[in-house]
Amino acid sequence: MIKEPELEIHPQNFIEENKKREHKYNLYKAILLDIFFVFYSILVVQRAIYYKFFLDLRELPFSWNEIILLFIISVIIGASWAISRTSLSCKLFGIAKENKTTKWSVEIFAWFLFDITFIAGWVVTKISIVGLFSSEGLQGAERLFSALFHPQFGIFDDALFAMIETIYIALIATLISIPPTLLISFFTARNLMKENKITFAVYYVLRIILNFVRSIEPLIWAIIFSVWVGIGPFAGMIALLVHTIASNAKLYSEAIESIEEGPVEAISATGANKVQVVWHAVVPQIVLPFLSFTIYRWDINVRMATIIGLVGGGGIGTMLMQYQGLARWREVGLIILMIAFVVWVMDYISAKIREAIY
Amino acid sequence: MLLKVKNLHKIYKSGTHALKGVSFEVEEGEFLVVIGLSGSGKSTLLRCINRLIEPTSGIVEFQGKDITHIKGEELRLAKMKIGMVFQQFNLIKRKSVLSNVINGKLGSLGTFESILEKYSDDVYQEAYRCLDTVGITDKAKIRADALSGGQQQRVAIARSLMQNPKLLLADEPVASLDPATSNSVMQYFEKINKDLGTTVICNLHFLSLVRRYATRVIALRAGEIIYEGAPRDIDENWFKTIYGEEAEEVEIR
Repeated sequence: MIKEPELEIHPQNFIEENKKREHKYNLYKAILLDIFFVFYSILVVQRAIYYKFFLDLRELPFSWNEIILLFIISVIIGASWAISRTSLSCKLFGIAKENKTTKWSVEIFAWFLFDITFIAGWVVTKISIVGLFSSEGLQGAERLFSALFHPQFGIFDDALFAMIETIYIALIATLISIPPTLLISFFTARNLMKENKITFAVYYVLRIILNFVRSIEPLIWAIIFSVWVGIGPFAGMIALLVHTIASNAKLYSEAIESIEEGPVEAISATGANKVQVVWHAVVPQIVLPFLSFTIYRWDINVRMATIIGLVGGGGIGTMLMQYQGLARWREVGLIILMIAFVVWVMDYISAKIREAIY
Repeated sequence: MLLKVKNLHKIYKSGTHALKGVSFEVEEGEFLVVIGLSGSGKSTLLRCINRLIEPTSGIVEFQGKDITHIKGEELRLAKMKIGMVFQQFNLIKRKSVLSNVINGKLGSLGTFESILEKYSDDVYQEAYRCLDTVGITDKAKIRADALSGGQQQRVAIARSLMQNPKLLLADEPVASLDPATSNSVMQYFEKINKDLGTTVICNLHFLSLVRRYATRVIALRAGEIIYEGAPRDIDENWFKTIYGEEAEEVEIR
């Protein structure tokens, strides 16, 4: 008898084949994760808990040989544990054996991981209740607080000028940011750029650049620009500008992405060209959110401008840093008071304006 | 022959086969109504005609010219001759009624001119004429979202009239309106069809409206035309074929 030729892939076989493959991948993943868990536990227990906490060593001994040895031990323990299908990772990937051994080992190991992480965190943070309530420390704090609450008004006019400088730095950074942000936001809006491959590539690259720029804090930008253009308000302004463009371009483009499609469809159906569609269907829908974001950003920038001053970005922050360095706490008290007042006023004004335009 | 649709197919990226070889013809001056369940392909069909959606295959011939593959300037010129009205009105909410109506003219206005929104008196006069046709000249300066649904749809009709369209597409224009308003809005379509001689293709749900306004009907089911003929010929049996066995006709007056 001639056997019938096998037809393609039988769906049942196909599904089972897939299941098997998935099972295998999950096992690999579980092995890797278990090795990591064991290696992590050994290192934490040895270095943070034993060396730092029990032996109270200042400098931890380090040698590659030791690390490699510990890693090899972890590989052996982790892999065999995962292959026995009773480990935490097996449970996580859903390939563990359902029995008592698994239950116990998973539960105990999970608690163990949590506990050693918490203890290690405590040790690394150098938490010290004694330090918080030592009489010497309390006296110092008292001295400082009493100075802060008796501000020195002799430097009021200097501080006022520095404060105004800070507000202007924030304002100029916000204003200059608007045109480039607008331009960039249209190129980083998915719904406008997805149509063909070239525009989508532009969208993608711009997004990556923006994410990168945004992930660097304005403080770091200020350090970079204070080297580039010299310490002073200009460096602070550029630092804020760069960060404002990157952050607001994201907010703006999200506003563009969330517009209603209907009006866009309607305007393009009239035979309007691309520019007209953007101007008459997209822009009217995003004007208010844009305005609101920009005003809010000015508010944020005033706060950031004071911080940026600490690293040489000019304005009230730089002044604060100088008096703090001289330990003249009464002057510092006045400056802090002024910063708090201005931030509060800005917060109030920007909230009111944003309420009014909606 | 104003419009010829030949063997039109549309397959969406998701794999949905929305139109499966639709063919029909529309004479100048007709009031053609397309009926069918939600998801039967009515909206896709209208959007393929004015190329808001690109058909997968088939031919759309408008005024004797194949417009299925034209691009750029040529496509814009074709779109200018085809007006469209939507279920959700799709007005620019924050703008005045008047500027919404003028938006219908954008295709024939210069880019620069339309960005500055400095239009000539002719444009304003034309906009008021269009508003007059749908009877809401007095609302010209009001923000579009301050109007009721029926009024907004009339503004949308005025916007499409600004194009001087040869063909007016209406995608369920009364589906978000109450019955009384529906009738009044449909009467404006009838008026445009009769007085201005504009050909209308309209998606509708209510058979009573279909019987009253349509000169001809096509019915879609699952992307295929299953009925084509006069509105009075749709009897109980046809109704069940189009809308399914459980459907019952609802009167709308």
